[in-house]
Amino acid sequence: MNLNPEFQRQLSLEFSPARLVGVPLVLGVIFTLTYFLDHQNQTSVTAQSALGLFLLMVSFWGARQAVDSVLEEQRSHTWDTQRLSALDPWTMVCGKLLGSTLVVWYGGVICLMVYGLTAKNTSNLFWVYSYALSSGLLVQNISLLLSLIALRKGQINSNSVIIGLAILAAFTIGSWIMPLSENPQALQTIPDATWYGINTTTQFLTLISVCCALFWCVVGNYRLMAQELRIRTLPSVWLAFALFLIVYTGGFIEAKQFGEYFYTSAFGICLTLSYLIAFAEYNEPMRIKRLLTYITQENWQRAAEELPLWCVTFVLASLLALPLSFSPPADIDELHVYPIAILLLLLRDIGIFLFFSFGKNPQRAFSLTLLALILLYGVFPGIFSAVKLDGMVAVFFPLVSDSLVLSIIYMGVQSALVWYFLYQRWQESV
Amino acid sequence: MINVEQLIFEYPNLRALDEVSFHIPQGSITALVGPNGAGKTTLLRCMAALEQPVSGNIRIDGIDVLEHPRECHRIIGYLSDFFGLYDRLTVRQCLHYVARAQGIADEDCAAAIARVSKGLYITDRLDVLAGTLSRGLRQRVAIAQAIIHSPRVVLLDEPASGLDPEARHELAELFLDLQKQGMTLLVSSHILAELEAYSTDMLVLREGKIIEQVAIKTHAHAQDFKLSLATPVANLTAVLQSIDTLKVLKVEQDQSALLQVQGDSLQQHELLKTLLARNLPICEFAKITSNLQDAYLDTIRQRP
Repeated sequence: MNLNPEFQRQLSLEFSPARLVGVPLVLGVIFTLTYFLDHQNQTSVTAQSALGLFLLMVSFWGARQAVDSVLEEQRSHTWDTQRLSALDPWTMVCGKLLGSTLVVWYGGVICLMVYGLTAKNTSNLFWVYSYALSSGLLVQNISLLLSLIALRKGQINSNSVIIGLAILAAFTIGSWIMPLSENPQALQTIPDATWYGINTTTQFLTLISVCCALFWCVVGNYRLMAQELRIRTLPSVWLAFALFLIVYTGGFIEAKQFGEYFYTSAFGICLTLSYLIAFAEYNEPMRIKRLLTYITQENWQRAAEELPLWCVTFVLASLLALPLSFSPPADIDELHVYPIAILLLLLRDIGIFLFFSFGKNPQRAFSLTLLALILLYGVFPGIFSAVKLDGMVAVFFPLVSDSLVLSIIYMGVQSALVWYFLYQRWQESV
Repeated sequence: MINVEQLIFEYPNLRALDEVSFHIPQGSITALVGPNGAGKTTLLRCMAALEQPVSGNIRIDGIDVLEHPRECHRIIGYLSDFFGLYDRLTVRQCLHYVARAQGIADEDCAAAIARVSKGLYITDRLDVLAGTLSRGLRQRVAIAQAIIHSPRVVLLDEPASGLDPEARHELAELFLDLQKQGMTLLVSSHILAELEAYSTDMLVLREGKIIEQVAIKTHAHAQDFKLSLATPVANLTAVLQSIDTLKVLKVEQDQSALLQVQGDSLQQHELLKTLLARNLPICEFAKITSNLQDAYLDTIRQRP
């Protein structure tokens, strides 16, 4: 039978006969214990334990398996063999994700079956199962996504960080699912939601949102795997994701305020995505050199392939900044929302990150940037504020300035300085 | 078979490959030699489409590697300097996985595994965990993985490092066998004596530049001989040039000469008789075995 070879290999590695027997055996012992506890206290300890164990298994163990399926390849020097194979990205993603976590789902399904048999409140069973399965898949997909990003950035020892995030996700999911499993009236207390005027239940909208997130995670995994396999990719999917987020988020704006807040929301999404992808992408000086070489050769297809993704959302944000600049400022307390100044802030911050990324120790770029941003956004404005030099506060954080022109000048000068130093460093590197 | 033109690869602050150009004919075994840090591994990785150069062209069997890296992956086998084995799988499972990953149908995998394991003398190790194998055996399994899909081109990065003399000899035989099967091999190594056993060509890379490409094994019927005379002969050059079956490469002080001789042993015997018939006071007539190490050192010395 022509099974997915990667899936088959993962099964050989992870689904050993010992685990096949060991997992139900250990779970059986735990549930025997909770059964006796149940009997004594007349509470549904077994059901709650089963659900809790499910969340821990699919999140913690599942995330570890998903992460190892990628990073362990690099550590064992087998990644090149996989990259040189005839396997397509989809086969690789499915094989790694499903193959490495099948043993986890084996234990997880046992937990869900025990939960179904022992739960006193079965009225929310559909929602509990739906959330549990979709969130479990989401956490594992995000873990795979983060591990592929870490692999690309050469941070192959990032397991603990990713697994830590997965545990955090498990607690978040738990805080949502556990009340549903305990209280039959839990769903009645949740107010209904409206999306683009469509009235629906919050639990349904949440489930759809989780499924959408899962879809985009799978797309992200496919794209990153394709890049690892040296398949050329254009930034179109990143643009589609940004547009999806803008449209999706726009659905939550009240109809009467839609015109007022839609552009602001879309602008905010583009800014956030630009920051996120700038930090997530592998930023190497040679990529910029290749980009410039392709531009010089007027090879636009290749240039688009080399284009840093933050540029796409930055351009989108710039387009959104135009209508926002002519609309009344959407001030937040004492902060003025100056779109152009905010764009320049983004440019400055990304410039700082790239400056450190092009340095001798790019592994420290993130922490050094974080330190620089704490100084620029917190410490310096705090010092000047304490000594009542409000004008100087605006130099570092121009959104407090009452003058639009001044805020643009302050940020323009800073961005120009940062990008000048960045250019110098880039020239030294290539 | 392999054409590389103006290849440039750069690391930050370092040009690892500097306008590298060369051609490798089909069916050859080319030794890629050079000091540490010369760019051998980077060159092999670029050719295997694992790294993206700044500019240049690489064509393997007509495929533009930089434009169509995945197509290139189908026709090459690559052995990295780390062997890249799954320690927790048996040798058979490792080979089965790679065979399937290279697109071999499940029903054909057993035959492919049997073929490569026989060629690499690992048939009796198929059910052993890869992690428990010795370095030499791991290396053989890694080569088996690299060639299981019968690639047209095999790129090998330091394949013999850490092997004992017997294993190296077996490796040389294997490479010659692969060559007979029509594969083109590019082998990087520091151990020049090992490369000599099978290399037909040599590429010398230094500081990211190809400084020499030479054919080590020329036509089988043309061999270099040294002729020494007991006493000088005044018209030695003219005497030698009058004989059709040899080519005079160099004459020194009318007492010794470097000759290129056509033909097999019998024709060499006939040539010796002819030389003696011309009353030359021959005291030495010997085949010159120019080795790879000499060629490499000559190249390095000539191009400081």
